[in-house]
Amino acid sequence: MGSVSIRNVHKSYGALPILHGVSVDIADGEFVILVGPSGCGKSTLLRMLAGLEAITGGEVLIDGQVVNTKPPKERDIAMVFQSYALYPHMTVEANMGFSLKLSRAPKAEIKSRVAVAAKSLGLEPYLQRYPKHLSGGQRQRVAMGRAIVRDPAVFLFDEPLSNLDAKLRVQMRSEIKQNHQRLRTTTVYVTHDQIEAMTMADRIVVMNAGRIEQIGTPLELYDRPANMFVAGFIGSPAMNFLAGNLQQSEFSASDGSKIALPDVGNINVDKITLGVRPEHFRIDLKGLPAEVITIEPTGAETQVMMRFCGHDVVGVFRERIDVAAGQTIRVSLDREKLHLFDTKTGKRIGG
Amino acid sequence: MVRQSTGLVFVLPALIVLAMLIAYPLAYTGLLSVSDQQGNFVGARNFATVLAARATPQAFWNTVYFVGASIVFQVILGTAGAILLNQNFTGRAIVRSITIIPWVVPGIVAATTWAWMFHTEFGIINYMMTAPGLIEAPIGWLTNRDTVMPVLIAINVWKMFPFVTVMVLAGLQSIPNDLYEAARIDGANFWEEVWHIMLPQVRSVITAVTLLLVIWGLNSITIIYAITRGGPANRTLITPIQIFRLAFDAVQFNQAAALSVLFFAVAIVIVFFYVRLVQSPSGGAR
Repeated sequence: MGSVSIRNVHKSYGALPILHGVSVDIADGEFVILVGPSGCGKSTLLRMLAGLEAITGGEVLIDGQVVNTKPPKERDIAMVFQSYALYPHMTVEANMGFSLKLSRAPKAEIKSRVAVAAKSLGLEPYLQRYPKHLSGGQRQRVAMGRAIVRDPAVFLFDEPLSNLDAKLRVQMRSEIKQNHQRLRTTTVYVTHDQIEAMTMADRIVVMNAGRIEQIGTPLELYDRPANMFVAGFIGSPAMNFLAGNLQQSEFSASDGSKIALPDVGNINVDKITLGVRPEHFRIDLKGLPAEVITIEPTGAETQVMMRFCGHDVVGVFRERIDVAAGQTIRVSLDREKLHLFDTKTGKRIGG
Repeated sequence: MVRQSTGLVFVLPALIVLAMLIAYPLAYTGLLSVSDQQGNFVGARNFATVLAARATPQAFWNTVYFVGASIVFQVILGTAGAILLNQNFTGRAIVRSITIIPWVVPGIVAATTWAWMFHTEFGIINYMMTAPGLIEAPIGWLTNRDTVMPVLIAINVWKMFPFVTVMVLAGLQSIPNDLYEAARIDGANFWEEVWHIMLPQVRSVITAVTLLLVIWGLNSITIIYAITRGGPANRTLITPIQIFRLAFDAVQFNQAAALSVLFFAVAIVIVFFYVRLVQSPSGGAR
C-alpha cells in the first residue's frame, strides 16, 4: 500500500518540453486514471513514476519517499504494459514468478504466491503454457498476474486494454476494477479512452499538451468540466458547442437564435460558448427548430445529428423518433444543465 | 500436365547449374576414391591406405581440437561483443564498424599479417613481450609444438568472432524494449537481464551461427595453410589440409578423394546430430 505524490514534475527531451509542471496527489488505495489525447504526456508521466524515464524537474514521492533517482526495483511498483511484455521464453508460471525469483524468494513461496494469483485470475489451467499459446485476454491476465504476485505499493497500467477487441475490453475493464476492489492497491492507469476512465476511476486526471486540465471524480468532470477541453473530451457522444454572444442575460447564437441561460451570476465577457450534452436536448413543440441531417437509432436511444442554431449538433433521445433526414423537428434545452464557457480562454463560466 | 512441364522448364537451368557445381564433383570424387591413378576399379584399397596412414588419426583429433576450441571462443567472445555493442555509449557506431574488420579482411591477408606478428625474431608480439620483461626470451609461437595450435585457434577466433557479433547483435536488436523494461521493473540488474532476457531471446540465432561455424570450421584451410601448412611435425595438420596436401603436394588424388569421402561422412554425421539436438522438442518453446 502506498500513496503517490507528483509535485511540479517537468520533463523535456533535450530542448523539447513534454510536461510543463504537473502535480497530482494520489491517496493510498485510490484508482486514478490519467487520460488525454495521444502525445499529451500521460504515458511519459507514468513511465517517470515507474522509473523508466528520468525526471527533468520536480519530485515524485511514493509512500512519502522521494524516488526521483531510484531505479524501478527500489520503488515497490509493478507495471502492466500495453504490449503485455510477457517473457516469450518463460511459461506463464515463470513469467508470474519472475520478480520473486529475482528477489531470491524460496521456491515454495514463489509457487504458492503464483498459485494464489493464478487462481484469482482464472489462470490455473494455463500455468505451464507459453505466452504465444494464449489469447489476447489471457495474456492480459498474465500481465496483471505478474503485477499482483509482487504485492507492490502501486500498480501502474499503461493502456493495458488497447490491444483487445471491444467485447473483451469491457470484460477486462470490469475484471481490473474487481481486482482493485479486492486488493485495494493504489493504481495509476493510463488510457486515451475516456469511457475506460469514466467507468473505472475513483478520480480522473485529464491531461492535454503536457498540462493537467482538470482532476476530479468521473461525475464531477462530466457535470462540471473546468474548460472546453475537458467538456469535449469527457462524454460520448461529445458535448456540443454553440458559439455566440451574451445579450441581456440571454445567449444569442451566431444565427441569431436566442436561448435562455441558467442563473450564473454576472458574466463579464461578450463572446461565450454554450455547451450542451447530447442527452440534454428535448423534443418540445414550443422549442427551437432543428433540421435533421442523419438519424441513428441504436435501439435503446436515438442519436440525431441536426442543424441547430447555425451549428451541427448531436442529440440523444431516449424515445424513438419517427423523422427522416431533411425534416425539421423542434427541440428545447435543459436549461439548468447548460454549460457556459468563455470563448476566448475556454474556461468555464459560473459555478 | 502442361503446367507441370512448364514448371520443370523454369527450374531446369538452376537444376543444371546445381548438378554441374555440386552433384558432379561429388560423384566424381566418389569415383576417384575407388579407382587407381589409371582409372581402374580398386574397391576400398584407397580407404585402407589413408586410414592406415599415421597422419590420419592425428589430423582427425587436430581438427576436433581446432574446430571445437575455435567455436567455443568465437561464440562466447562474439556474444559478449554483441551484448557490449548493444549498449548505449558514445562512439558506438564507430566501434561497431571497427569490430567487423577482422571478418572483412581476406583470410590470406589476415593469416600472413598474423604470421609476421607472431614471428619469433621479427614479430611485434615477441617484441612487445620481451621489451617490458614479460618474457625473458622470444617464444617461437609458430614453431613450438605446444603454442602453435593455440595461436592458430586465437587467430581463427579473431577472424570469425565478428560474424557471431553481427548476427547476435541483429538478434538482440529485435528484442522489444518492453521486455527489458518489464525485467527492470521486476527487479533485474544488468547481468540478470543478460541471462534471463537477452540470451534466451537470441538462443536460436546462436544455434544457427554455431552450425555455420562448425561447417566453416570443418572446411577451413586458409589460415592454417598460409601460416604453418600443417607443421611443425603435423601438430597443426587438420583433415582438410591433409586432403589438400595429399592431392596437390603428394599428387595422390585417389587417396585424397577417399579421405574426402570419409571426412564428408563424418561431417554429415556431426551436422545431423547437431540439427537433431537443436530441434529437440524441449527446444520448441524456449
